Amino acid sequence: MSSAPSGEQTARRTRGRVASFFLDDHRYVLLGTSAAAFVGMLLSSSTRPAMSFLSQAFTVELVMYYLLVAWLVVSAVALVTKLAKWRDYASFSPFAKPAVRRALRYASYVVWAIVLVLFVDRVVMGVASAWNVAVAAANMADPKRPEPMLESMCYILYQGRDTFFTGLVTTVELAVFGTVIAFFLALLLVFARVQTIDRPDNDFVRFWKVVGSGFAKVYSTVVRGTPMMVQAMIIYYGVFGIFRMTSLTTTQINGIWTTFLAGLVTITLNSTAYMMEVLRGGIESVDKGQTEAARSLGLSQWQAMAKVVFPQGIKYSIPGLSNELVINIKDSSVLSVIGTFDLMFATTTVAGIYYQQFQTALISTVAYLILTMVASWLLGRFARRFDVRVEAVGSTSDTPVKVEE
Amino acid sequence: MSEKNLNVAAGTGSVGAAPGSAGTAPGAAEPMVRIEGLRKSFGDLEVLRDINLDVMPGQVVTIIGASGSGKSTLLRCINLLETPDAGHVWFHDADLAAEHVDVNRLREKIGMVFQGFNLFNNMNVLDNCTLAPVTLKKMGKAEAQEVAMRHLESVGLADFARADVNNLSGGQKQRVAIARALCMQPDLMLFDEPTSALDPEIVGEVLEVMRRLAAEGMTMVVVTHEMAFAKNVSDEVVFMDKGVIAEKGAPSKLFSSPEHPRTREFLARYLEG
Repeated sequence: MSSAPSGEQTARRTRGRVASFFLDDHRYVLLGTSAAAFVGMLLSSSTRPAMSFLSQAFTVELVMYYLLVAWLVVSAVALVTKLAKWRDYASFSPFAKPAVRRALRYASYVVWAIVLVLFVDRVVMGVASAWNVAVAAANMADPKRPEPMLESMCYILYQGRDTFFTGLVTTVELAVFGTVIAFFLALLLVFARVQTIDRPDNDFVRFWKVVGSGFAKVYSTVVRGTPMMVQAMIIYYGVFGIFRMTSLTTTQINGIWTTFLAGLVTITLNSTAYMMEVLRGGIESVDKGQTEAARSLGLSQWQAMAKVVFPQGIKYSIPGLSNELVINIKDSSVLSVIGTFDLMFATTTVAGIYYQQFQTALISTVAYLILTMVASWLLGRFARRFDVRVEAVGSTSDTPVKVEE
Repeated sequence: MSEKNLNVAAGTGSVGAAPGSAGTAPGAAEPMVRIEGLRKSFGDLEVLRDINLDVMPGQVVTIIGASGSGKSTLLRCINLLETPDAGHVWFHDADLAAEHVDVNRLREKIGMVFQGFNLFNNMNVLDNCTLAPVTLKKMGKAEAQEVAMRHLESVGLADFARADVNNLSGGQKQRVAIARALCMQPDLMLFDEPTSALDPEIVGEVLEVMRRLAAEGMTMVVVTHEMAFAKNVSDEVVFMDKGVIAEKGAPSKLFSSPEHPRTREFLARYLEG
């Protein structure tokens, strides 16, 4: 909306990377598509799941299989020709003719389509069948876990779905709330951290600047220098101990000082230290001239920071800050040590019921991976909104002038 | 030994200036800026040694000299971007070098234009100009914008009020920087090599704005390598060498018959180049 990327990049960027792979770039059409065709053949040779739709159309699959083979043969011939006639390949080989190249490109689309169909038939339908089997097994009068790997995982996931869901929600809550609260705390802390003594300051202000900056330094060192698992225990049991000094009963304390709250406090305090350092990096990378210009107009140190330096510094820090959310999604897993019911705790719980550590761990791996991928995708879009870009230093009269409407 | 010469020259310069400004008839204008015995060093490096300089209201003072002679540091001491080690910088009646002086209030009256423009990158042209008036003068946004538009018009950039500062050319940026400083209605304008980062062919548009400003009676202290500007526009030229004022005087005199050997050497190099 505000500014487009500069000239030469625009043309290439109009298409997405995937679209450009299929439509613009045919250098790897033979080798790349051959690899896909090989995967398709492997899929075709694997056993059909119960819900396979190709099992009803055996001839179709046979034709598809031989089309893949044909592609491999043609590619092999073309590539061998190319290797043998390396120097005059372009003028000599029939495969280099424009018409043949175009035909190869269209054929490669067919290969990709065939592989896609095979993938859906074997993998997607395979998971679906396993899920069906698992659900059926779970709903029997006497539930019994099926032995095959995929069905076993589906069974565990289905049986433990409430536990997993609770854990997943807790993890997301911890990461999102923790990161957001930590961001604001980090803003306060970095503000204290970057304070320097200014001439008009009186002794009172000077004293608090020194104290604030010192506190931020010590805080950052201590928090970043100790493991979060240990911090979680210190915070949880420490505050618990303080509550014990009151007349509250243990049950009452557990109601107030929940493991979720302790986990949230831990993740927030931890993330604050890291985010402060990211923000400090961003703020210190703002050109000194910006402050000088603001001060030369008569703005106080505080005003120059708030109006000029911080907005730019925070913008520079956005990539690092958004990374912190992804880190928090993963690092919240250590909070299970104090019994916070997050995804990791759910995993351990479910694994304990079925004595299936590996399968359960695999389920939570996939869950964490999906969470972090969704988070980084969303944050990427978010960062693009802020138009984070690097500005050319010292522009000249050659730089085109653009006026915003 | 040459150092001794320089000190002598600086001494005579200050002696020559002191009675001129202090001893003028009562009723004559007081100097707007009076620098007395200013010293500044960065670590072991003495950048300014015993600087004495008066700037009268409406005067255009140009500071010339080789790189590293302390020109920029002297200029930055006038609005306290550098803190002097010793000496006094009087601006009107206030001593900027005194401890606990309200620098912010005084800086409002001293505009500064930097070599590197230093426009606020997070704002458009108009916001660059209105930030300080709105924040410090408690001016309404509309009023501040009106003032800003007037100044942008005077530097020929009214059409660019809504432009992103990163999309301007160097010359345009520097003119915006001048307009931004003028929006605070300063008594004094400091220019720190305002054209050094610009292409030769667009230096003119910035100098033109400065020339007009001088003609309107603005008090200006300009550090520059533009000898033509120093010669034609300024009322007094100060030649600095190794942290002291080697020579100062009217441009007609300093450029035609420089007294100090270093001045002669410096000008000769510039005039042939």
